[in-house]
Amino acid sequence: MFNIRVNGVARTVDAVEDKPLLWVLRENLKLTGTKFGCGQALCGSCTVYVDGQPTRSCVMPIKAVGDKDIRTIEDISNEHIGNLVQQAWQELNVPQCGYCQSGQIMAATALLIDNPSPTDQDIDKAMSGNICRCGTYPRIRKAIHKIATEQL
Amino acid sequence: MTDLSTLSRRHFIRVSVLAGGGLLVACGGGSSSSGNSGANNSPDDNAGTPSTPADVIQVGEFMRISTDNQITILVGAAEIGQGALTAIPMIVAEELDADWSKVTSELSPVAIKFNNPYFQNLLQFTVASSAIRGYFEGQRRVGATVRQMLINAAAKRWDVSPSSLRTEASHVIDDVGGRSASYGELSSAAALENVPSNPTLKDPASYRIIGTSPQRLDAVKKTNGSFKYGMDVDIPNMLTAVIARPPRFNGQALNVDDNAALAVPGVRSVHTILNGVAVVADDFWAAEQGRKALVVQWNELLAGRTDSATQRTAYNLRLNIPGVPIRNDGLVLAAQTLASQTLSADYYFPFMAHAAMEPLNVVVDYDGSSAEIWTGTQSASLDKIFAGLILGLPPGQINFHVMPSGGGFGRRGNPLADYVRDACAVAKSLRQPVKVIWTREDDMKGGFYRPAAAVRVSASIDSANNISAWTHRSVTQDVTALLYAENLLDSVADFTLPPLKELTDFETGMPYKIDNVFMDAHLTVNLAMPALWMRSVNKFTDVFAQETFIDELALRVNKNPYNFRRDLLTEKPRHLAVLDAVAEAANWGFSGTGISQGISVMGHWNSFVAQVVEVSISASRELTVHRVVSAVDCGTAVNPDLVKAQVESAVIFALSSILFGEILLEDGVVQQSNFDDYPVLRMYQTPIIETIIVDSGNPVGGVGELGVPCVGPALANAIFAATGERIRELPLTHSNFKIV
Repeated sequence: MFNIRVNGVARTVDAVEDKPLLWVLRENLKLTGTKFGCGQALCGSCTVYVDGQPTRSCVMPIKAVGDKDIRTIEDISNEHIGNLVQQAWQELNVPQCGYCQSGQIMAATALLIDNPSPTDQDIDKAMSGNICRCGTYPRIRKAIHKIATEQL
Repeated sequence: MTDLSTLSRRHFIRVSVLAGGGLLVACGGGSSSSGNSGANNSPDDNAGTPSTPADVIQVGEFMRISTDNQITILVGAAEIGQGALTAIPMIVAEELDADWSKVTSELSPVAIKFNNPYFQNLLQFTVASSAIRGYFEGQRRVGATVRQMLINAAAKRWDVSPSSLRTEASHVIDDVGGRSASYGELSSAAALENVPSNPTLKDPASYRIIGTSPQRLDAVKKTNGSFKYGMDVDIPNMLTAVIARPPRFNGQALNVDDNAALAVPGVRSVHTILNGVAVVADDFWAAEQGRKALVVQWNELLAGRTDSATQRTAYNLRLNIPGVPIRNDGLVLAAQTLASQTLSADYYFPFMAHAAMEPLNVVVDYDGSSAEIWTGTQSASLDKIFAGLILGLPPGQINFHVMPSGGGFGRRGNPLADYVRDACAVAKSLRQPVKVIWTREDDMKGGFYRPAAAVRVSASIDSANNISAWTHRSVTQDVTALLYAENLLDSVADFTLPPLKELTDFETGMPYKIDNVFMDAHLTVNLAMPALWMRSVNKFTDVFAQETFIDELALRVNKNPYNFRRDLLTEKPRHLAVLDAVAEAANWGFSGTGISQGISVMGHWNSFVAQVVEVSISASRELTVHRVVSAVDCGTAVNPDLVKAQVESAVIFALSSILFGEILLEDGVVQQSNFDDYPVLRMYQTPIIETIIVDSGNPVGGVGELGVPCVGPALANAIFAATGERIRELPLTHSNFKIV
């Protein structure tokens, strides 16, 4: 049994100690917005915040979570910048298949919290860990710039 | 293309009143092929509306108009990211004169009425860029028919002539009487109206929705984590399975030692199926640990031994042997004899994996007498037929839920239904709800790749420096070869295969004015090496060869590659228009310092595209792709922003293939496993992408694949402009470029 804190709520989880946080979120807590893409921290689809840091939940065992704060896509609209990111994503029709977008939105929100006016190089650095096979990168870049220019 | 008169005969419209009011419209006739009755534990509701009670949903419905004026349009095409859930409802809403802000959409049940007209109404099949061009006319007719019935109902209510009424934003309006009624108010009465047999369709000049770019209907749910994919389906008592597959294709489990696997906490059972050994557990992690603990001896007597290097040699040899002719104009042999010179070039392309972001998965709930199945698929009809064959159930006992897919690119359009068959085999043995999950490694090693291909092109130049002959020979393998060779679908009654030519997308459309042209192909069959179409199919390889070689010819006769193409396209106005548009938009011939340009053009899927790629290459062979400019003519762009999104997507998809895409087999064993050894394009490698739509007003063409094939040759032509090197094989990592 593990007691963890997800999206501000204390949860008790019955899982083996090496079960990755991704699968705890998806299976035990039914928070399916966080996606399984590669299982090896290569694609970024499973990105969540651990104490505010974008983290690949697919390689983080539940035993390593401890009392750290976990935050997922389901809660990101409660973050001012997260909400702006979601709106810009909708306005610019960023998602195609949409499967990677939870991870993209988590990464973009973290970038903008950290850096309200990122350059293209900053965006490359922050977003290149997140793969999108539909090729939504140009719109992601545009959306990040749009938020930085108009709202931050 | 489908004969429209046939289409209208087949697509007569059935209407009935919904329980609780509202209007139900069904397109087509005949008995349903999918029972959608009974308890539906609906974890797949992406529409945000409450699940419709089972006694209301009927197979074959295209639309619901509720008494509160909400319109829900059901979509028979798969949503794989291309926007079918937005663009197809736009077509219906246009002719319906619906208030777009009150329109939502859902994926339809699997039923004959939702079959894709592009495939002769035989299948729900979302491949070959056929969703919009397939469904367009039929969906217009659905919208126009219902609109007329709403008008007729209003005319009765007000005792006026229907012709005195007009419609706008989901209202019927009586200008003379100064009154109006909403579609919601009228829907129950409209359902009792006779179905007009030949409703008037709009003049495209009066379109109000088609040609605009409203936000995707799935945009909100795709940004807050609530959009449900197959991977997210969760039903009571569901277990999770992963399948251990043989190291070589078509290997079979001989001896299975499952003691260690069953000892893993959470593992429930182990099942040997035709294509592997399934480990079933309480959750994914336990199943995965169980699979690692499994000891399997494989019978490899019939296993595939495809070896990339050996196959390449064999394909190159076959380039010397005539294949099946697929185009023959004039007298190539005579022209070659008279030519002052004949040049030729050979090209080679490896296997490539689709690598959609959502790994394959299927949920099957089979209880011995009926089944419910959920999966993201581009080929629902055939999946359902194969599920029935495996489970021993008639179609009426299978409730098949098409889930939106986290990418498809052709992989989820497998006519052999591989992943659905495997999941059904597990469920049949288990008799408990089960989700079969593929890991990324399973997906990468699981076959059904874009097949490797060799291409030889030749051209003859006469004494006046004109191109007098052109030949093109392809050697490749394709899933369609398997279908036709194996007669695999013989057991399926009333089933006709779509035309081979449509599905292979072999290049026969070489557009240039050359009097003597000969094209042939070897479509090899290899039952132990599963191949499948991947976004743009053989166009990817054939057009690469064609459009790089035409560039070589231009320089051979001292012409600018753009002007050379123009001169040979004087009888192809739509090719010419996109070519001119892209040259202008990219400022052809005037690139920045250190930047080189390449150009290419093609037409297919009833659409046309020309692209300019700009690159720079450093002294240490660092290759940077700076910009890709595309001009596309897809006839009528239903939603121009979605068209642009598809082109952007295709450019990036193509760049991944061109720069890195390679699945290598050594003695039958796939060498790649995940995104570390099968890299795809990332943000920092993405060029500026600009897309122009050339509005030709022609009938709708396909756009999903359109942006793929020309990127490679335009990029290779730019590399030649920069370095003088000709690219004859992909990916470019083989030419020792470092991708920046």
